[in-house]
Amino acid sequence: MGGHSSWPEWVYIGVVVAILVWVGADSWYIEHLIDHAPAEAEIIKVTGQQWFWSFEHADGTKEVGELHLKKGHPYKFEVQSKDVIHSFNIHDYVVLMDAVPGRINTVWFVPDEAGTFPIQCREYCGLLHYNMRGTLYVEEL
Amino acid sequence: MKNMRYLAISVVILFILPTIAVAFGEETKEYVNRRAVIWNEFFRMTTAAFVVGAVVSGTLIWVIWRFRESHPKNKEPTKWETGESH
Repeated sequence: MGGHSSWPEWVYIGVVVAILVWVGADSWYIEHLIDHAPAEAEIIKVTGQQWFWSFEHADGTKEVGELHLKKGHPYKFEVQSKDVIHSFNIHDYVVLMDAVPGRINTVWFVPDEAGTFPIQCREYCGLLHYNMRGTLYVEEL
Repeated sequence: MKNMRYLAISVVILFILPTIAVAFGEETKEYVNRRAVIWNEFFRMTTAAFVVGAVVSGTLIWVIWRFRESHPKNKEPTKWETGESH
């Protein structure tokens, strides 16, 4: 290595490592941020089964294929499955969580816009997977 | 005396003002906007991926261009190739 300067290599390594460290730190922070549901979030039990979604509110009200929520209020979904693996998705609110038999997965969000939004299964779960849809109705308080 | 003044100013800024802000601030509940946070993260990560891609592929292109056989600086064998350095 006599007479050979290696500083460009070190700059190169430094730039790439710095970017990768930032990627890891930022992703960890965001994951941490969206992972913790507020204490006042209303729990809604979401059950996936071939080929429909059913919902149970905290007060015991049940809904099938449609879900009525209030704008500006936090909700925590407890997602589970009765048969095969499904995936609960409200695309417009970037809510996506697998429904796995024998397991309860959680995800929370706050609807900030009134209107109707599609709910869709995002894990191929059999013949009528394409039709495993529902509708989210967000109502003004 | 001057140091004491700086200390007092620091204490006011760091502890007393935030305490007053919390005590008399409006009680508004701000929730994380999941949609904004996740999409922003996606675009930041995309930018990082493209930057890494540009740095790595740019370096490779430069190395291939600089050390090709036909490059003017490679006309003569280096001292390492001729064995003169050993």
